[in-house]
Amino acid sequence: MSIIRYLLIAFVILALLPASVSADIVVIVNPANKIESLSKRQVVDLYMGRKSHFPNGTRPLRFDQPSNSNLRAVFYYQLTQMSLPSINAYWARLVFTGRASAPLALASDDEMLEVVEKNQHAIGYIDKKYLNDRVKVIFELNLNQ
Amino acid sequence: MRQFFFFCIASLIIFFSAQSVNADETFRDRFRISSFGTLGITHAGKDQFGYRNELTHKGQFNQFSIFPDSVFGLQVNAHILPNLNATVQVIAEKQVKQNFNNIVDWAYLTYQPSSNITLRGGRMGIDLFMLSEYRNLGFAYLWARPITEFYTPVSLSHFEGIDLKYSNNIDLGYFEFKVYGGQTGSDIRVNRGDFSVRMRPIFGAVASLETNHWKARATFAATHIDETRSTQLRQLLTTLDETPAFLWPKASGFSDLINGEGNQAYYYSLGFSYDKNNWLAQSEFAITDSSWPSVALTNGYLSLGRRIGPVTFYTVGSYAKSLNDPKTISPRSSQPEVNALQDITENSFNAVLVNQNSFSLGMRWDFHTNMALKAQWDHTWVRKNGGGLLILREPLVRDIELNIFSLNLSFVY
Repeated sequence: MSIIRYLLIAFVILALLPASVSADIVVIVNPANKIESLSKRQVVDLYMGRKSHFPNGTRPLRFDQPSNSNLRAVFYYQLTQMSLPSINAYWARLVFTGRASAPLALASDDEMLEVVEKNQHAIGYIDKKYLNDRVKVIFELNLNQ
Repeated sequence: MRQFFFFCIASLIIFFSAQSVNADETFRDRFRISSFGTLGITHAGKDQFGYRNELTHKGQFNQFSIFPDSVFGLQVNAHILPNLNATVQVIAEKQVKQNFNNIVDWAYLTYQPSSNITLRGGRMGIDLFMLSEYRNLGFAYLWARPITEFYTPVSLSHFEGIDLKYSNNIDLGYFEFKVYGGQTGSDIRVNRGDFSVRMRPIFGAVASLETNHWKARATFAATHIDETRSTQLRQLLTTLDETPAFLWPKASGFSDLINGEGNQAYYYSLGFSYDKNNWLAQSEFAITDSSWPSVALTNGYLSLGRRIGPVTFYTVGSYAKSLNDPKTISPRSSQPEVNALQDITENSFNAVLVNQNSFSLGMRWDFHTNMALKAQWDHTWVRKNGGGLLILREPLVRDIELNIFSLNLSFVY
């Protein structure tokens, strides 16, 4: 009986693991973008499909991490305290009711950097350790705070 | 007219897709094809009382079937100008009436002059309740299907017209207010055949407020029941109208009561959902007020869920009850023909009344980022003369209980 209980606890911990990964995440844009910083709420609005424009009125091209990545789960959990299943169902509602287009999922941090470097209106997020000087940070999620 | 309308939208999509919108945008940013679906199997119904979760479906009589919950959809979004988008959604499911008109669920243009204002025109989801714009999208909600007591009575999935939405962040959360107007209709199955209803005009308003963890909304809609088509109903109404008053003085009164045409219907609903710390709750209540007894009812549900890792366990309680009581025609005529007509009239009136409630238990397993497996058991109590959501092979003159077992796989891609 106790083995089953421990297995159950281990299963729950594993299931919640993405929220406990420690990695600082930076939200990045192209250096030519006139936006210098965003508040947490403004990032939430963009990544939850509630705003279709940057605060300065330009239209962003939103990019996302791979659908099964831990970084994606951590990013959304830190922004919204919602689990990835809830986020996936939420975005399915927005997309299929025509309210918003989901951020395009890219394959890796490398591709995210490449796409943001090349597109003036792009916005994405990466693990801070991959940051380079060819993109501009406009928001930082420090998970050790 | 409809074909011309769809042709125009398709032409616009093709024409503008070839134009340059934004130097940054690639083809995949501007033109997106998404799909969704549910593959399900259910066992439901009794030999004489058929279960269905949509009035547009046939009844399921004590048998397994893959058709009630299975649906596939394809959606194309085209970003055709900086503030103009086009959306087309087609649906494949087993309906009683299948034609091009029913397959195209949506075809509309969206114009967004600013971040706060959205104007749409065309055929769109009709915004009456929480799930009204995604009732076919199983992946987007917790249960095996939209709650029968709440969603089945309103079989309207879309309307043709325009809507205007204002949205903004306020201190309490994200606020939306929408007004819409147009026309709508539905082709449904009734006990003795098919029935079509056209409602024009329909007007409505929706206000909602949401945060990351909860959402509250209120809706109102008003419509005029402009036209109903049913061979069996027409025959009954004609017979009632032609029955001399000295044989049955109330015959024409029953004709007016059963005939929906010319009546108004008003729909009011309140909804609330909550999702935080792995606890989920959702509830909606509505009242449809009309002098046409077939549609006048009150309904609601409360759903509670607990997520443990990728699995969510849930329970739902729901009810639907007509605002009108069943009728017993008396005194009965001594003329056999009139007596038979009184039987048919009484059965026809009572057969559309709804009086049922359900208790459900289920689980949803999000085993993949875009797929979910659901298992659900529903136990439904249907009261005497309250089987309006069922297909009745005989009048429901006693209380019955039904079990519905379902297993389904939902996906988005």
